[in-house]
Amino acid sequence: MKWAAVPLAALVLYPVIRPFDTYQQTVLLLAFLLAVQAVSWNIISGYAGYVSLGHSAFLGLGSYTAGIVGVHTGLNPFLAAPLGGIVAVLGALVLGAVVLRTRGHAFVIITIALLLAMQVVATNWSSLTNGSNGITLELPFWSRDFQNVPFYYFFLLLMFATIGFSWAIRRTKFGTGLVAIREDEGKAAAIGVDTTRYKIVAFCCSTFFIGTAGAGYAYFLTFLNPVGAFGILGSVTIVLSALVGGRGTLWGPVIGAFLVQIASELATVYGGGSQSRVLLFGVALVLVVLFLPAGLLPAISARVRRKSTVEYTDQAGALASARVEVSVAAAAPGPILEVRGAAKRFGGLVAVDGADLTVQRGSITALIGPNGSGKTTLFNLVTGAMRADAGEIWFDGRRIDRLPPWTRGHLGLGRTFQVTRLFKSMTVLQNMVAPLPDGRWRTMLAGAVRGHEADRARELLGFVGLARFADQPAGSLSYGQQKLVELAQVLMMEPKLVLLDEPAGGVNPSLVGRICDIVRGLNEQGVTFLVVEHNIPMVLGLCDPVVVFSRGKPIAEGPPQAIRADPVVLDAYLGEEAIADALT
Amino acid sequence: MTQLAQAVALGVLIGGVYALLASGLTLIFGVMHVVNVAHGAFLVLVAMLTWWMWRHTGIDPIVASVVTTPLMFGLGWALYRGLVVRIRGSSASMSVLLTFGLALTVEGVLNVTAGNKFRSATPGYFEESYRIGGVSLPKPQLYGFLAAVAVLALLYVVLTRTWTGRAIRATAQNPDGAALVGVGATATASLAFAIGTATTGVGGSIMSVLYPFFPASHYDWISRLLGIIVLGGLGSLPGALVGALVLGLAETLTATYASLRWSTLVFYVVILGVLLVRKQGLFGARLREDVAA
Repeated sequence: MKWAAVPLAALVLYPVIRPFDTYQQTVLLLAFLLAVQAVSWNIISGYAGYVSLGHSAFLGLGSYTAGIVGVHTGLNPFLAAPLGGIVAVLGALVLGAVVLRTRGHAFVIITIALLLAMQVVATNWSSLTNGSNGITLELPFWSRDFQNVPFYYFFLLLMFATIGFSWAIRRTKFGTGLVAIREDEGKAAAIGVDTTRYKIVAFCCSTFFIGTAGAGYAYFLTFLNPVGAFGILGSVTIVLSALVGGRGTLWGPVIGAFLVQIASELATVYGGGSQSRVLLFGVALVLVVLFLPAGLLPAISARVRRKSTVEYTDQAGALASARVEVSVAAAAPGPILEVRGAAKRFGGLVAVDGADLTVQRGSITALIGPNGSGKTTLFNLVTGAMRADAGEIWFDGRRIDRLPPWTRGHLGLGRTFQVTRLFKSMTVLQNMVAPLPDGRWRTMLAGAVRGHEADRARELLGFVGLARFADQPAGSLSYGQQKLVELAQVLMMEPKLVLLDEPAGGVNPSLVGRICDIVRGLNEQGVTFLVVEHNIPMVLGLCDPVVVFSRGKPIAEGPPQAIRADPVVLDAYLGEEAIADALT
Repeated sequence: MTQLAQAVALGVLIGGVYALLASGLTLIFGVMHVVNVAHGAFLVLVAMLTWWMWRHTGIDPIVASVVTTPLMFGLGWALYRGLVVRIRGSSASMSVLLTFGLALTVEGVLNVTAGNKFRSATPGYFEESYRIGGVSLPKPQLYGFLAAVAVLALLYVVLTRTWTGRAIRATAQNPDGAALVGVGATATASLAFAIGTATTGVGGSIMSVLYPFFPASHYDWISRLLGIIVLGGLGSLPGALVGALVLGLAETLTATYASLRWSTLVFYVVILGVLLVRKQGLFGARLREDVAA
């Protein structure tokens, strides 16, 4: 932030020092406007990773709001500006509520169509918008001696506000959750992030300042028409700015906006006007995507970081740990999880076939079985990553099989994954603060990088022995360390039941013992575990009871010693001959 | 009644053409999960080439697709091998941005070389029509529809009856599994991209007759075509067919009973309505990325 102070101060003082540089001021104010849009776009498309190709539609929406209000009430566009922002947010809310409920590509496609749709509305709803004749706004009320200086400060102020807003978002759990969605949406949902709400709110956040700026822009142009207000070129410059500067960073879109605005100005002056601008932007976009996909700012900071080296492999550090308190409300013994007749088919393959499973509160229950017997699918049904075709799932006295994954997380259901799914580009600490223990807005908007959340995260990292790695990128840890971080991450949600999917798989043997100790320690404090594992010695030593799964349903259950000798189990694992061998 | 029959007949004819225009888009998405935003620009490019050939040689625009189809096949192949393959490992949004850049580049090239004005190929039968009962079927619409149906049928046969088609479908469903049985992902993807782009050969030819175009009209087209495949379900060919018919009918029915001006908007309202009820579109299977592994 500090390095930004000097250029920003220079921008504030520029019109005072050189009041008659009208042309330069105009170029700069357009750059501010572009920066407002690129920084806003970055909230949904950079942080959350959902690219919008029609974002300039919200500028048009803000412009038209100010224009229409101005025509009907005579209200000055500057005063109507926040109204433009509100209309843009409402538009985003409606659109987002429809298309952001799914993952994948529907969003970007609808945003492309958005510009065209807005053009159709603006052209045809003549009674409101005056059709293709457009709207003429009042002339600025100030003396012509001031030229564009008021606009200059209007857009500069908005740019500061937008950057501040983006900065604030990035520091909350909301911001961390958005990045989590970009990195791995399924995992984000599993740690309590209400992905639908996050995405819709992010989309709304990404439009307010654009809509507000749109009102000012309409006043600046004093004329509005559908083709101008909802043209694609505006969206292109937004995307290009954010991409060139660095998508997902705070300052990247700002830097990109200045570069693109100045380049576009040079192209107009020296390069044959707007005809060639489309070609120029197109080629630039292709080149940036191919050769500078991360953008300038991340590329530069990566180069700087490469000079400092970090020691990663610290087994001793990983093995030392502190004790930690986890708060699990004491409750009467009884089942905490009940699966009744759950079934899941993939086409003709029946992965889970009417399975019943009960996990007693306070136990460390193991779920073992041959590969392909449906254990992980059962996990997915319980945590909500997939929806069961039939059956009921009850958790802590509530039926949960129709609830979204994050709500199940908020009720106290946590899981780790067979192959770790940390958010690799985030630091270990950011990974730790991403989970959301409950669904309240207050929690979502709470600060993430310091205060109670971060303290708790460091405490839990200390518990698994990885406190010193808090500021490293999660992707740089060893696989076993990632497993531990993922467990600690789940603990941030204060779970009552943790589902561990192969905690020892692919892990250094010395860490396996460490993982067992951690699980036991947590269990003593009241956390229940359900463990899928192929490491049978570990299972027999750690878990009781053991449930054996085969062909989509449990075939045996009992204490470890009984399971070990059960002929049904031997059959499932080794085939009938092995039983014959065992019996003779 | 005649009015309704007329609107429906015209809607089906238009829908058939839309289905062809959207088929390449949905094929490419189905195989490699790339939303090819440049598809509309390719169509306009072909329309421009067709117009130019028609203007200078008098060759019938739809017949001209014999030339443009292999040309676009080659362009698709080259673009995949040269550009798209480079970003295969990165996030899905990068492919959208890349093809968006390509669309702008094509538009820019057309702008600079051909100029920013409306064009339309008008062969002799341009304003003639057949009459069946009270219903009139304009010849260009009918010919365009027939050409579209022929190409779609050919595409269907290739995809279902040939080894190549099976390889493409296998890669679409499970790239790793396909690779294990000897279907190379890159080769198949280049082929699918090339075939998808080649459909713009006939599509663009028909477009040059039916719809006046200029370089920037690819935004209109890509918006509509993407709408079609979202409605039908991303990656589904039958879905694209149904989505296209819905758009065709929405346009003609709105034009008949309300006003042509609102027809595009009616279509988007239909899309949003369908997505509210069925998040994955009419025929869309929930993609594997929709569930956590």
